[in-house]
Amino acid sequence: MATSSFLHPSLAFLMMAVLLPFLPGSRRWKWLLLLPPIFAIYAAFNNQPGDHYTLSWLGQTLKLGHVDSLSAIFAQVFAIMSLAGLIYSLHVNDKGQHIAALLYVAGGFGCLLAGDYLSLFAFWELMSLGSTFLVMLNRTRESVLAAFRYFLYHTLGGLILLAGILLRYRLTSSFDFGPISAAGATLPDWLILIGFSVNAAVVPLHAWLPDAYPRGTVTGSVFMCAFTTKTAVYVLARAFPGWEILAIAGTIMAVYGVLFASMENNARRILSYHIVSQVGYMVAGIGVGAAMTINGAAAHAYAHILYKGLLFMGAGAVLYSAGTQRLDELGGLAARLPWVMVLYMVAALSISGAPLFNGFVSKTMTIAGAAEAGRTWVAIGLELAAVGTFISVGLKLPYFAFWGGKPTDYKRELRPIPANMYLGMAILAFMCLLQGVYPEVLYRYLPFPEVAHEYHPWTAFNVLQASSLLGFAGLAFYLLRKVITPHKALNLDFDLFYRLIGRAVLFFVCRPLAFFDNLWTNVYNVIGLRILRGLGSLTSIFDRKVIDGVVDGSAKGVRFIGWVGALAQSGRLQRYLGLAVILAFAIFLVYCLYGSFIGVAMEKTN
Amino acid sequence: MPPNGPHGPNGPNGFLARFLAAQLTRGRIKFWRMFFFAVLAVILVLNLVIANHHPHFGPDAKPFFWPLFGLVVGIVLVIVVKKIIQPLIKKPEDYYGDL
Repeated sequence: MATSSFLHPSLAFLMMAVLLPFLPGSRRWKWLLLLPPIFAIYAAFNNQPGDHYTLSWLGQTLKLGHVDSLSAIFAQVFAIMSLAGLIYSLHVNDKGQHIAALLYVAGGFGCLLAGDYLSLFAFWELMSLGSTFLVMLNRTRESVLAAFRYFLYHTLGGLILLAGILLRYRLTSSFDFGPISAAGATLPDWLILIGFSVNAAVVPLHAWLPDAYPRGTVTGSVFMCAFTTKTAVYVLARAFPGWEILAIAGTIMAVYGVLFASMENNARRILSYHIVSQVGYMVAGIGVGAAMTINGAAAHAYAHILYKGLLFMGAGAVLYSAGTQRLDELGGLAARLPWVMVLYMVAALSISGAPLFNGFVSKTMTIAGAAEAGRTWVAIGLELAAVGTFISVGLKLPYFAFWGGKPTDYKRELRPIPANMYLGMAILAFMCLLQGVYPEVLYRYLPFPEVAHEYHPWTAFNVLQASSLLGFAGLAFYLLRKVITPHKALNLDFDLFYRLIGRAVLFFVCRPLAFFDNLWTNVYNVIGLRILRGLGSLTSIFDRKVIDGVVDGSAKGVRFIGWVGALAQSGRLQRYLGLAVILAFAIFLVYCLYGSFIGVAMEKTN
Repeated sequence: MPPNGPHGPNGPNGFLARFLAAQLTRGRIKFWRMFFFAVLAVILVLNLVIANHHPHFGPDAKPFFWPLFGLVVGIVLVIVVKKIIQPLIKKPEDYYGDL
């Protein structure tokens, strides 16, 4: 247990989240926000493989810092993304939003480095809490309601995961988080898979994503688009490689997301559906389970976090500046927001897999790997999705947002975009290009580096194939640009069923409960109160005769505790969530300090 | 120089903004359309020159497979989505109330 060669990135983010409310001044504290990501980048590139921060608890060994080639590559891109994301959000004065983002990112790193299911679950829930606030703090009624739905849904997913973890413990007496073989899988394994699939937005469990992400804050959605689904991809890659059902589910996701994105009107909703589609590539790669497709999934997750973050930043910048994200209300903005357009296009070409951009070196790896593994239909499905991706994110969204066949819109009043937002976007755009031109900077960190070097994306035919596909998909768009013009509409998705189920639960559970509650209140009023009053008058006599003057102070104490209790029990969801986080914090910090203390003590004795 | 000021890189007088604004005349649009078609023509010619030595599933060994795939899939996708699927599932934007 070498604690000296390991630093847990979550610690820095958690400490900053705790400190932030106490930092004075209006502006200066913002620079401190950059410390945790820098710490995380240092840690991600320097952490040594192995199990670190191991703690004994209830007879179990918890591993808070499990580093291997799979968790290392995810930690790297999480760290880079957290830096770009925090730079992008530096202009935000609302400390609450920063705290939510810090907690959320801390949860993400915690999941990546968890070596056992218990610590994984704790960080999993921290992520869910942080992201709920990132939606809620947009402070519109629409966002608050969406955040509530998001939280309910993720709590349900988390409970299914927890049930799987506990049932699995009963069978195997272990919380070890490692590969599960598809042959001989038991019910707990399936429950864990479902819990993971909720966060990976596997169709039909995906509808929370396009519901919540377009309603998050401009900067919050940038974080969310990067971490939740990719953490889920990571845990799937660790626990369920080679599961056939994931290969099928991933291919369905890739195509399904594209279909919905092609009809949407809301820019960030289009991008949300493309998360479903792109995560489909990764899930399919994990499901095929060959070394090359696992590499492809990891490479695509890396590339995807960079370009999807950039896409959400670009769309967020348009929303921030123009005040709307509906394509039918935009258009004619290319000359008004030229650099936003250029930076957005870098990401759009990356996600489409155009040569020179990083999607080209990651997407083709998964597809080629699937084809070589004999999974022709998976490969064809993913190619199909690639065409749709270019049409909807690469052409439709930018065309209708920046041009739309309209003259330059000089009348619209644009809110100036702060320089830090441009800087955040520029960092990611640079990374997208760097990886596209020099795939080596990505490939050397892949989980199976020896296999990665056998794949060469930059062959003449691969470049021609990508250009052919994109060029003629572009022709299809050109011919049908009048058909694909977006209009205001709500397209029904699986969330219709979630809502129906929610109503059914309300009907069958809440009504009988309300009935019994009423009944109980009546009984209590009639009988209980009388008994209590009687007892009260007895004790008051006792009190006056015996206790008064002896322990007067205790009454004040009880009143104070009651007051604190009443404050806590405000009936407001955000306050309960906040309290839960503070408690979790305290426990985590105590454990970490305890862990380092034990580590130091052990080193001394050695 | 502030990035959004009139003379900043993102302002109306930045070189990129001026360039983009100038592309919206009828003549320039025609030029870009011809440029796009020329690129497609070059891609088609290259399809004859560069062969696929590692076909994944048979027909993709033939030239023009990928241009055709992109065009056909693109057209079918847009028509299926906008003309068949969306009319079936389209609802007014306030279908769920403000929820």
